[in-house]
Amino acid sequence: MIRIIARKEFTEIVRDGRFMWTAALMVLLLLTAMLAGWQRHSSYMATQAAAQGATNTQWLKQGDKNPHTAAHYGNYAFKPLGPLAFFDNGVTNYTGTTVFMEAHKQNFAIASPAADTSAIGRFGELNGAMILQVLMPLLVIFLGFTAFAGERESGTIRQVMSMGISRLSLLWGKALGLGSAVLMVVLPCVIIGAVFIAMTDLPMVGEGLATRIALLTVAYLAYAGIFLFLTLAVSAWSRSPRTALMVLVGFWAFTAFIMPKTAAEISKAVYPSPPYGSFMADMKAHRARGFDGTPPWAELGKFQGQMMREYRVSDVKDLPFYWTAVRMQRLEELDQRVFDQHFGAVTAAYAGQRRFQDRLGLLAPTLPLRSISMGLAGTDLIQQQKFQDDAESFREAMVEKMNGYLSRAAVSLNGVSSASNYLVANEDVFAIVPPFRYQPPALATTLAEHWMNFAVLAFWLVAAILLALLGVKGMALERD
Amino acid sequence: MYRLIAMHETRALARTWALWAILALLVFAIAFAAWSGGRSVSRQLKGAGDAASYEVGLRDRMRQETAEYEAKVKATGGPYEFATVRHAPGQGPPQGTNAGAVGAETAAYIALPPTGLAALSIGQSDIQLDYLPITMGKSLAMTANAELENPVNLLAGSFDVAFVVIFLLPIFILAMTYDLLSSERERGTLAMVLAHPVSLRKLMASKLMARAAIILLVVTGLGLVAVLAVGNYLETPETWLRFALWIIVTLVYSMFWFALAVLVNIYGQSSSTNGTILAGAWLILVVIIPTLISLVATTIYPVPSRMDLTVAAREAQTAAEKNMDKSLNAFYAEHLEYVPAGDQRAMDFMTLGQASANTIEKALSPLYAEFQARRGQQQGLVQRSQYLSPAVMMQLALNEISGTSSERYEDFLQQAAKFRTEWNDYFAERFLRQDPLRPADYDSFPAFRYQPEPFSVVLKRLAPSLSGLLILLLGVALVPLPGIRRYQVAAR
Repeated sequence: MIRIIARKEFTEIVRDGRFMWTAALMVLLLLTAMLAGWQRHSSYMATQAAAQGATNTQWLKQGDKNPHTAAHYGNYAFKPLGPLAFFDNGVTNYTGTTVFMEAHKQNFAIASPAADTSAIGRFGELNGAMILQVLMPLLVIFLGFTAFAGERESGTIRQVMSMGISRLSLLWGKALGLGSAVLMVVLPCVIIGAVFIAMTDLPMVGEGLATRIALLTVAYLAYAGIFLFLTLAVSAWSRSPRTALMVLVGFWAFTAFIMPKTAAEISKAVYPSPPYGSFMADMKAHRARGFDGTPPWAELGKFQGQMMREYRVSDVKDLPFYWTAVRMQRLEELDQRVFDQHFGAVTAAYAGQRRFQDRLGLLAPTLPLRSISMGLAGTDLIQQQKFQDDAESFREAMVEKMNGYLSRAAVSLNGVSSASNYLVANEDVFAIVPPFRYQPPALATTLAEHWMNFAVLAFWLVAAILLALLGVKGMALERD
Repeated sequence: MYRLIAMHETRALARTWALWAILALLVFAIAFAAWSGGRSVSRQLKGAGDAASYEVGLRDRMRQETAEYEAKVKATGGPYEFATVRHAPGQGPPQGTNAGAVGAETAAYIALPPTGLAALSIGQSDIQLDYLPITMGKSLAMTANAELENPVNLLAGSFDVAFVVIFLLPIFILAMTYDLLSSERERGTLAMVLAHPVSLRKLMASKLMARAAIILLVVTGLGLVAVLAVGNYLETPETWLRFALWIIVTLVYSMFWFALAVLVNIYGQSSSTNGTILAGAWLILVVIIPTLISLVATTIYPVPSRMDLTVAAREAQTAAEKNMDKSLNAFYAEHLEYVPAGDQRAMDFMTLGQASANTIEKALSPLYAEFQARRGQQQGLVQRSQYLSPAVMMQLALNEISGTSSERYEDFLQQAAKFRTEWNDYFAERFLRQDPLRPADYDSFPAFRYQPEPFSVVLKRLAPSLSGLLILLLGVALVPLPGIRRYQVAAR
């Protein structure tokens, strides 16, 4: 019985003029978005690989110089993206692509693409994820809002019920028919997307590609299911098709457009993060007065005394290592505590904002889906943070290696003026710093961070199904 | 007659829950938007203030040290000398006497002041830094100009009044008008009403006026409250001129959506068909076309990646360092006045820095120019294709009116570049001549004064968007006129 109803529903939808138009528009947009996303992603990756290669070479071929000066010359980290970024670009446009890693200073990732595009970019990016998150629900609504309300208006529902069909089979049949119609539009595009990825010869950043695609599919199917059952529920409850349409479109605008912005604004107030100017001023001032109130120069004085006592010497030039280098490394460690505190505070505020927004997913299913999609595509805040953390670890190791080498190799220069006589190192020494490599977080880490979003999405699906069940149970058969 | 029907409509509307729900949502949305817009502007101002006062504090300390030094020199009768750059505190003249140290180790923060209406349309000002550190030796091309903000929030975008007007207001307008005629026809009352001495055109106009009056009064009233609550410079006429423009574009934009609803009602059929068509139109005009324009603009004119720019800058830096002697010679050849007496050529790393910065800037300038040119082309394409969507025209118009447009920011960047040259030249000259700074010199440092753009420039840049909106409104409003005659009054 359910199959018969589903087939009737499917045929009716597909033969409707509305279907042709909306389906054509969806397919066209999805294909355009996927193609453009692919093109943008390939050119980004090519640029990134070339830039990282070039800067690695530049580090080695920077010319013979003092190792500490080489650490000042520093190195750059350019962020690679996983292959799924072409489908969901996530926060990529709004995050820095480049971290300058140098001695004495921790830097933010800079050069975000959004800073260099026109304000119209803020209308959003047309990518596969955006279409499935924003337009697919509307497709479901357009095709389904008349499911019960329309039949009630034309009076056919009474006839159908008089034939002894249970309300439940009617619901499942309609859901199946509507679902197949929606899938018929979306599925081909998803398959084409998968073929794109299979054809790629880009380096695979991030493991578990197949699992990621499978989980993405599950999440988007659940999301479509939420709207499908909500549409049927509202269609069953509403007195007329136009009320159903108004309610559904209102909910759609609420979850897809209003809530993401609202959640962002509220989270900013709950977990405030400092503007650039205040951050820099606070950090510099803190650095100058010392982490716990003892200025760096006093700390260094203390450190000098400690070293001299430890090695039982009365003059730094008798120390068994190059004092200038050890002193600089000590300064590095002192500063590091300040950096860790200030950068850590910003990271914590952002993470708090992100979690807060995810929790508001209880009001709008688009929020958890958006997070899951970015997370699995490798374009969310967590991955960006990992990139910056990797760059920071690299920076610390690079500086430590250069200062360390200097401290061992230049012992004979202790007490000599460093302005006129200093050690010069070459490429072989710079090579002890291995090239920067970004290790994206493991799939397990991503999933652990997002399990709550999956739970919220599941909650929405169950709630939508329950609402639909309640809807058909209490459905009026006649117009009043 | 118009008044009678309009009055009746207003009374009828006032008894529907939908109207009150819509008005409540509108009030809530604008209040929330004003709150968050105000927070955004004060956050920027706080950042600019903190950054500037920190750097001023650094220079004040340097000045105080030179004053103490000057007093000491006066008391002991020694020469007032120039300090070489060093990092550890010690004996001798303080760092504040060295123009190189002052010019390069402290920054002059220059700020783009918000306009009176900045809080109403945030534009790109949550991404672009409205205050820039200007230092000696660092070119603007390599200065980070990104505000510190959570990318998740940037992706979502600001919930500002512009968002409410561009995205939500049309939804509210369409919700009130999508069944303007069709509902009466479906209930069968339309034929009854038209049996009285009233034309369809009059009836429709009156129904429309009732709705438009309610919505527009509320929007302009709330807009005024928002300006009073979170606007700046309320005492200047410019703020109120800007607000007048804000009202005008908002009215034109709203009228467009009313006209569109009428158009669909005249040619449409059932209420639910009208609803579907109008929802689809909203989707296409407000969501799909703007994102498509953006996609096309970034695909046709891709801005060269900053990553390439970074690598090229580094290439130039390495080359300059390797040819230090050469770049130093080139620098001295251009600046004969700075060639030091005797054989002490490379004074210290600051001179070298100054020399290589020169080389790097020269090497980078063609790349940066290409970068800027592409950005300009992209901007141009957006400007030309804005006519495809009222939402894009409206966004550009509101950004312009609120002073958050890309053009105003570009102008600020140009002023910044000019000031950087001024700042650099002042300190470089004093430094290279080894002319020690005295405390009194601290008053004559170059100071940045933002030159506001004349209001005529704002109007000129606003003209394309505003006239585009007006033409679109006229077009949509005139199309239905012939259709009115053929309107099927009774339901089939």
